[in-house]
Amino acid sequence: MIQLNNIEKYYANKGIKNYVLRLVTTTIKQGEFVSIMGPSGAGKSTLLNIIGMLEEPTYGSYEFLGEDVTSLNERKRIELYRNHIGFVFQAYHLIDEMTVYENIEAPLLYKKVGSSERASRIADLLDRFNIVAKKDLFPNQLSGGQQQLVGIARALAAQPSIILADEPTGNLQSAQAEEIMTLFKKLNQEDGITIIQVTHSEKNAQYGNRILHIADGVVKEDVAVG
Amino acid sequence: MFKLNLKIAWRNLWKNKGYTFINILGLSIGMASCILIFIFIRYQLSFDENFKNEDRIYRVITGWTTPDNFFESAGTPRPLPPAMRNDFKQQFDKVAAIQAGGGIIKVKDESGKERIKTSESVHYAEPDFFEILSFKWLEGNPRQSLSQPNTVVLSDEMADKLFGNWHKAVGKSINFQNKVDLKVTGIIEKTPDNSSFPLKVIISYKTYQNQGRPESTNWGTVSSTSECYVLLKEGASIDDASKSLPQFITKYYKRDNVSKESHRFQQLRDIHYNADLGNFANKVMPKKELYGLAIIGAFLLLTACINFINLATAQAVSRGKEVGVRKVMGSLRRQLIVQFLTETLTITVISLLVGCVLTEVALPGMQSLFKDHISFSIIEHPIIFVFMVVLVLLVSFLAGFYPAMVMSGYSPALAIKNKITANAAGLSLRKILVVVQFAITVILIIGTLVVLRQMSYMREKPLGFIPTAVALVDVPSDSMAITRYHTLQDQINKIPGVLSTSYCSAAPSSDFNNESNFRYNGTVKSTFQANTKTGDENYFKTFGLEIIAGKGLSKSDTLKDIVVNETMLKKLNVVNYNDAIGKSIRINDKTGNIIGVVKDFNNMSLHEPISPIVINSDKESYTTIAVKLDSKSILPAMRAIEKTWNTVLPEYVYGSTFMDDKISEYYQTEKIMGALFKVFAGVIIFISFIGLFGLISFVATQRTREVAIRKVLGASTLELVKMLNGSFLLMVFLANLVAWPLAYLFVAKWLATFTYRIDLNIWPFVFAMIISMVITLITVSIRSYKAAVANTIDALKYE
Repeated sequence: MIQLNNIEKYYANKGIKNYVLRLVTTTIKQGEFVSIMGPSGAGKSTLLNIIGMLEEPTYGSYEFLGEDVTSLNERKRIELYRNHIGFVFQAYHLIDEMTVYENIEAPLLYKKVGSSERASRIADLLDRFNIVAKKDLFPNQLSGGQQQLVGIARALAAQPSIILADEPTGNLQSAQAEEIMTLFKKLNQEDGITIIQVTHSEKNAQYGNRILHIADGVVKEDVAVG
Repeated sequence: MFKLNLKIAWRNLWKNKGYTFINILGLSIGMASCILIFIFIRYQLSFDENFKNEDRIYRVITGWTTPDNFFESAGTPRPLPPAMRNDFKQQFDKVAAIQAGGGIIKVKDESGKERIKTSESVHYAEPDFFEILSFKWLEGNPRQSLSQPNTVVLSDEMADKLFGNWHKAVGKSINFQNKVDLKVTGIIEKTPDNSSFPLKVIISYKTYQNQGRPESTNWGTVSSTSECYVLLKEGASIDDASKSLPQFITKYYKRDNVSKESHRFQQLRDIHYNADLGNFANKVMPKKELYGLAIIGAFLLLTACINFINLATAQAVSRGKEVGVRKVMGSLRRQLIVQFLTETLTITVISLLVGCVLTEVALPGMQSLFKDHISFSIIEHPIIFVFMVVLVLLVSFLAGFYPAMVMSGYSPALAIKNKITANAAGLSLRKILVVVQFAITVILIIGTLVVLRQMSYMREKPLGFIPTAVALVDVPSDSMAITRYHTLQDQINKIPGVLSTSYCSAAPSSDFNNESNFRYNGTVKSTFQANTKTGDENYFKTFGLEIIAGKGLSKSDTLKDIVVNETMLKKLNVVNYNDAIGKSIRINDKTGNIIGVVKDFNNMSLHEPISPIVINSDKESYTTIAVKLDSKSILPAMRAIEKTWNTVLPEYVYGSTFMDDKISEYYQTEKIMGALFKVFAGVIIFISFIGLFGLISFVATQRTREVAIRKVLGASTLELVKMLNGSFLLMVFLANLVAWPLAYLFVAKWLATFTYRIDLNIWPFVFAMIISMVITLITVSIRSYKAAVANTIDALKYE
């Protein structure tokens, strides 16, 4: 599904190249649950951003679903966002001015899903995540865990084939974090959704089936779990 | 999607109530000003429209070229219309004369008792006039109604006034000037306010010709009250007609005069806008002033839009996250732009509604300022609605497009990580906009100061005579009235509070000016014309004119003694004024001797230089009795004068004005300008400074953490306030530097229209700078002080 070849990323500062990623080559297959781990500043988030096409690599090539996406125009990239990729953020990033319902609905509107189809999908998601009662509340009226549930529901609304999660439990208490990770595992195993997460926690990484250890921009270890 | 966008927009606006309020306040005031300016301009541009064949209608203008001057009049010599009708058959369909006048109209009831006596302006018109200009006839038609002498056509309003109901008016008769009875033969619809032809009483032109006036064959006399209109033949070109004019002029004018006559054709649609030529309605609005207003309107709108852009881009940072999230959800940049423009549109529409309310509130003030009925009805004038729609779209676009571009352009990776800072969001552009905004503000402040100073200069400048407490009372000048002049003057002089009285043709300073050629000391004709005024022996005393050589006029009914002014002698190169005493002047075919020299006085508005003036007595030319009053008893004296007047001249209608009012009428345009400048400068200052307040609020919030850290490091409150204020004061200072040369160009150009004007010095500029800096300092300090004394812990804990 994802094929990275010799990905490099650096920032030039006064002629000195500050490398963030060096020669990263890896393949992620459909249905995998990959955790990217490493110390702060190792380049985890940058790697995830490159996979999510939020940043472009300086060198190297990147194929997504067999297509070279190293430098994609906006329209094509947005096509991928609408149909294949769902994002989950550490700080949830719900839109404060929209209710839970509207937040989940937003990607469907961009995807131009018909209104009855939209309603049934959202109802399904609300039901599945047990947040039906909260659908008319605004994000600031929810706890962190609930917000993240909405964030995941939103990511799933467009029925993506892959979810990219940047420290999805970083702001959560452990009980809530466990709930979220269990949900991810379930999505991966039952729905076959590919998940790539960045995490600091060894425990969370255990929910997945593969761990990429990164340090100083280099993939140090690539281990299978379980 | 649009509905959702609207909903989100609404919630966003509600969340940032403060900024929304500032935005809406600024925009609505700006828009209200624009709407007011628009409806005023629309009204002014609507003058004299809806005449059939309007692009083929022209007025004949007469011009004179003298060795040192050129001037024009809307009048034509009275023999011109028939001559032109004869000589321009090829080019013109119709040529018609119209003569303005006035007089006393009396209506008797069935028993022969006088029921109504009123003084009205009248027009003598040829039937063809109504075939050129299409007025609506309610009864009668021009051919039949105006082709006979002693017939009159009334407007329905006038007929209602005279006969109670215009349906009953036709066939009845009115008495005009105690002389002729005129039969009412037709009714036309009242001409609208926005017409240069306020025709109420139209008397057939033959009636005028029957009065046996000598000037009706004289090509040498032109009164601006005798106008001539022509209707160009379809397909004919006015340029061709103009080419035949020189031949026409040679044919009819005698070529021995000092000045050379010329003619040209003025388009109907130019009549309302040409202040030099004027018109029957005395309503003119130079296009230049309309442009000026439009520019001020554009400035106001621009300032309001700049506020919006500044606040929106400043706030943009807080929207960054949303932009990032929406982008990764699959929103196109275009869709985001649409979303942000929807928000702007929402604000603009709300502002428009508030603006409409403000317009409605301000309209009476505007109407009294311009003394015109200006309508703000979108049903009557759908164009106003169109304007408002265009205004909303324009403002939404101007104000919303740039912020929308900036915000939608955020990189999602940075936006999501909150790595977008205010600096990245075009702070430099914001600075430029603030400078532009304040430059506009400063220009208006300078403009206002200069206009106000010039106004007070005009009020206070000694005119060479004393205009206070002088009443100008009309007197009829027919032979019957003249016989009672002496009685009238005697009786008025006896009224307590009356200091002196003088019969005259016009006050020292007047709109009514006669210019004539003359011979000085038996020499050849002069190269310039003298302004002639007539008055009796009390003229100088009544108006406080100062004789500086020789003596004033003595009692006489005709030209015998002459007093000239200094300018006259300077132009004649007489250095010692006493040399001129005793010299003869031949003017208007009569000769008199100079017996005195009067100190120069301003005989027209201060736009004009002082003319060479000849003053003499001529009983038959008097139109006014000037009454100098004791300023303490003006009211009772005026009542007594009116009573006396009515007993001495019962057949006539009393009318009076005050000299001061006459003079302030000269400066009506300037007064309006001054009022507009004051109002709009106030508005623009207000808009700019609420914008500034919004901006400093934002900057203060942005730098809360920095301020807290600096405080921990030991910065004092004053130092922090100074730090936050610094860049704003610098921007306003820069704005002043930009504004000064521009403002100088504007005000210097405006002042150049006055012959008598203030010296343009640096003070208005310095003063504008001080005003703008002080207000900036106050506005900014209020907010930055609050930021500087905020609790440090709150700011640091927050992160």
